[in-house]
Amino acid sequence: MLSLFIWIPIIISIIICFLPSFKNTLIYRNIALITAGIIVILNIILGFNFQTDIVGLQFSESFIWLSWLGLGYDLGIDGLSFPLLCLNSLLTLIAVYITPKDIQRPRFYYGMMLLLSGGVSGAFLAQNLLLFFLFYEIEIVPLYFLIAVWGGAKRGYAAMKFLLYTALSGFLVLISFLGLVWLSGESTFAFEPLKSHSLTVNSQILLLIPLLIGLFIKIPIFPFHTWLPDAHVEASTPVSVLLAGVLLKLGTYGLLRFGIGFFRDAWVVCAPYLAILAGISALYGACCAIAQKDMKKVVAYSSIAHMAYVLLAAAATTRLSINASILQMVSHGLISGMLFILVGIVYKKTGSRDVDYLRGLLNPEKGLPITGSLIIVAVMASSGIPGMVGFISEFLVFRGSFPIFPIPTLLCLVGTGLTAVYFLLMVNKVFFGRLTPELSNLPKVLWSERIPALFLAFLIVIFGLQPNLMTRWSETEATAILYGNQQSITYKN
Amino acid sequence: MVSESFIEKSDQTSTHCYKIDSLCCDDLLIKTGMINFLVEYIWLVPLYGLLGAVFSLPWCFGFIRKTGPRPAAYINIFMTLLSFIHDGVVFSHIWQQPTQSIIFPWFSIADLDLSLAIEISPVSVGALQLVTGISLLAQVFALGYMEKDWAIARFFGLMGFFEAALGGIALSDSLLLSYGLLELLTLSTYLLVGFWYAQPLVVTAARDAFLTKRVGDILLLMGIVALSSDGAGLTFSQLQNWAQTSPLPPFTITLIGLALIAGPIGKCAQFPLNLWLDEGMEGPSPASIMRNSIVVSAGAYVLIKLEPVFNLSPVVTDALIIIGAITAIGGSLIALAQIDLKRTLSHSTSAYLGLVFIAVGLGHVNIAFLILFTHGVAKALLFMSAGSIILTTSGQNITELGGIGSKMPCTTLAYMTGSAGIIALLPLGMLTTFSSWFNGNLKVTWWLLIILLIVNLVNAVNFTRVFRLVFLGKSQPKTKRAPEVPWQMAIPMVSLTIITLLAPFLTLNYSLSSSTSSSMIVTYSLPLIMVSGLIGCLIGAFIPLRRGWNRPIQKSLRVIQDLLAYDFYLDKIYEVTVVAFISNLAQFTTWCDRYVIDGVVNLVSLVTVFSGNTLKYNTSGQSQFYILTIIIGVSLLIWSILSGQWQNIINFWSLF
Repeated sequence: MLSLFIWIPIIISIIICFLPSFKNTLIYRNIALITAGIIVILNIILGFNFQTDIVGLQFSESFIWLSWLGLGYDLGIDGLSFPLLCLNSLLTLIAVYITPKDIQRPRFYYGMMLLLSGGVSGAFLAQNLLLFFLFYEIEIVPLYFLIAVWGGAKRGYAAMKFLLYTALSGFLVLISFLGLVWLSGESTFAFEPLKSHSLTVNSQILLLIPLLIGLFIKIPIFPFHTWLPDAHVEASTPVSVLLAGVLLKLGTYGLLRFGIGFFRDAWVVCAPYLAILAGISALYGACCAIAQKDMKKVVAYSSIAHMAYVLLAAAATTRLSINASILQMVSHGLISGMLFILVGIVYKKTGSRDVDYLRGLLNPEKGLPITGSLIIVAVMASSGIPGMVGFISEFLVFRGSFPIFPIPTLLCLVGTGLTAVYFLLMVNKVFFGRLTPELSNLPKVLWSERIPALFLAFLIVIFGLQPNLMTRWSETEATAILYGNQQSITYKN
Repeated sequence: MVSESFIEKSDQTSTHCYKIDSLCCDDLLIKTGMINFLVEYIWLVPLYGLLGAVFSLPWCFGFIRKTGPRPAAYINIFMTLLSFIHDGVVFSHIWQQPTQSIIFPWFSIADLDLSLAIEISPVSVGALQLVTGISLLAQVFALGYMEKDWAIARFFGLMGFFEAALGGIALSDSLLLSYGLLELLTLSTYLLVGFWYAQPLVVTAARDAFLTKRVGDILLLMGIVALSSDGAGLTFSQLQNWAQTSPLPPFTITLIGLALIAGPIGKCAQFPLNLWLDEGMEGPSPASIMRNSIVVSAGAYVLIKLEPVFNLSPVVTDALIIIGAITAIGGSLIALAQIDLKRTLSHSTSAYLGLVFIAVGLGHVNIAFLILFTHGVAKALLFMSAGSIILTTSGQNITELGGIGSKMPCTTLAYMTGSAGIIALLPLGMLTTFSSWFNGNLKVTWWLLIILLIVNLVNAVNFTRVFRLVFLGKSQPKTKRAPEVPWQMAIPMVSLTIITLLAPFLTLNYSLSSSTSSSMIVTYSLPLIMVSGLIGCLIGAFIPLRRGWNRPIQKSLRVIQDLLAYDFYLDKIYEVTVVAFISNLAQFTTWCDRYVIDGVVNLVSLVTVFSGNTLKYNTSGQSQFYILTIIIGVSLLIWSILSGQWQNIINFWSLF
């Protein structure tokens, strides 16, 4: 079952790449859409069969691949992977859907999209360190091409920067994994045997630090974040949606899965510093976002700020905060996905993302009123207005972390306040005011273009009103992550 | 939203005791059953407003164009009427009933249980009645006021949303729910102030309204997070119990208390978060009616509910009193120098909410409720009359108005009644409220009396001044033709005039209770207050008033007038402090991001074998893979060299 999530997209992507070139380029698009749709359906089926009250892996698949290397093909899903897998399949479908129909080199494009989706699913499902690493690296290739081929003016620079950063990230993660296996004297990279070893705190710290830096690049956390704004600005809209919505989650997934899962003692030692770093990163991202002139950059920096909350919650390691960090990952995926889609529509219709140039787009006759209203919804969700998913996830993050790290939590709360500042400045400049003459002949936005954003808005509100729908998947697993093999962590405060 | 609900009966026997007589007619049973039903489902009342808002969406976005936008308005008015009736029935039946609370288990995770609670008590249902009543009047008023606006559907939708949030706050018995609704109020204020979003002043006003309130809300959220982390439940009754056995050190509790009052400070437009209300006057008048009467009261309502927590720390109660006093006196003075009709009124709103803050700081909760009620009703009336004048004359600069008195009798009457209701001179709402404050049952002091005297006097001067400028004197160019407003606006105005005149009867049962102690202050307070009102009216009646943009010749007078007219230059002060700080910080971090952090990265990439040129110009795709392989190859090489040495390296590190 789980293999389907990985191999259907990958095989179809290879097939698409080698299809003969048809006149009607929509064929490639339809194949990709159908594939993504199948994955979503598979995901729903998986959801019905997924048992929420079981700790540990479900639907496990395992066979030995290269025994001399300790590489086994071990897949499994638990409460931590499941929400992220759902996010991945949903956003892939949306990203394929919102791709312009007249895209250049469609075969290659859709092939890369599906390859990306399969790779990310693989990373979330892998239960073997080396297998995880493989998927973690595979996913770089399609993303690199997606930015470098279909990107904006400075795409070469942005793609290269992304590539170098992520390659370094993968390298550091690999160091940590290899070191872990070496020191524990195991001959396999599978998760379970490795978890049972308890290394000394010092060696754990030594292994945790490269892992953390590697993942911080991916999340990204200040000061390893500069690749993200560049990549977002140059990437096309669907790629931005996937990048912000899914790929950044690989980093935070790694924090919970490996950071807490394998290096528990070291994690407790490092946690206070991580919390402070999270606070700084949240404030830094927010401050940078205030001064940006490009709408996409504003959203990109807000991603940095919002992903820092996940780190804060992970650092606090209370039952509540672990749940909160999973919830925050999903809510950020939905909200930032929606924001990027809408900014993409504005860009497509007006040809600009410059907040100083755009003005008065809420105009009901000549502007983009519904897109504008949806952006207001997304912006409010992002700044944590109750009734939407952003509020409950942030509230849980803060409530879960405050007893352990009061000062960093307060810093992050200030960051939420600043979220309202930068987004409101953006909305005020772009959508309020009088429509300028050069903007007054905008093409109409079609319903088909609004549907993805509307659907995400619907999810954001539903999960905001009834967060149980989302947390029930991960609640037991969050406890398990925390207490592992019946070991309990003792806190300092 | 609500998965299941159950009623927690505070008193088993009396909840269903609607006096079912032994006759036990079917009629009576059905009636009782229905009333019970209405009481238990009182939480539907705010949802009616929300439903109205949702129903008006098709007209807002122009999906239905055939009918014009008017049906959305009718739907919303109907929904508000429905909630008014529902609430009225409940209100008439729960007098003398004990308080019930309904708990909705909303969400629980790990060790956190977030239940939402609502309270059914005479106070909460009465507050809801006030909300739905004023909302109904304001919406009917808007039918006339907004008649020619193209976006009338959007306006009514927002009003429905507004009303829903306000009604929810009236019923809410849970701090978290109240917080959420306050935030929704912030959002809808933003949207309503920004209603005419094409005007530049409106854009800044909407932004400032949102951000100012947001500052308060974030601090409030900090307080809630801290309270909840310290084991206090988040319903108000749990908080009350928690406050009695508070285990926290005084310093922490002071900080929490200060954070909790920050939210209401923002909502009630108190110093230093007061400017948004003044700027918010750029929005449509019917929304101003709501904002100045019940929205500001919503913040105070939450404040009153949190009063037990504030009592734990004297610093917090002192802060409440000081903030209240500064705003009460400062707001009254600023109002004196305004020449915008709505702004003269809005600053006095801040001032009277300041009195509520003082009352809460002193622990006089009932007085706080009374002030909220009398002020809310009278201020709504004043804003209705201001709205009528603005619609008729298309101007709100009071120096350009004049001589309206004889032409618009209904509006004039509304203004007179409204101001009389706010100034404690005639035996209307505010005088009875003040008299019950000073009837000897509560502990009052001289400084309190002095503050009240100043506020009363200054406001009397202000209202009389505005009255002379607008309603008396010769007709000005703008007021030559000033017909009375259409019935949609006149009827709400007349109804509210009557309610304002009746307000003292509602507050009477407090003031008539016999005084237990009679000290000097109690004996002389009431006459003094009335005298202050009278002197204020006389000063207002006889000071020379200028038309046009004349400024005093004497330098000292001019400085004072400017100081007041520009709100003590508060906006300028914010501009050079907070705003400048944030924007400079933003510029600085962006600079750092660009040149320091990214600079280091680019420098590294220059120094390494992959030179900057490769980075910039190479997009072919082939060589990048080459680079990737090199990175992985080099890393494997390093790792294999080191592989034998791991244990040694670790041992080396372990020495430290």
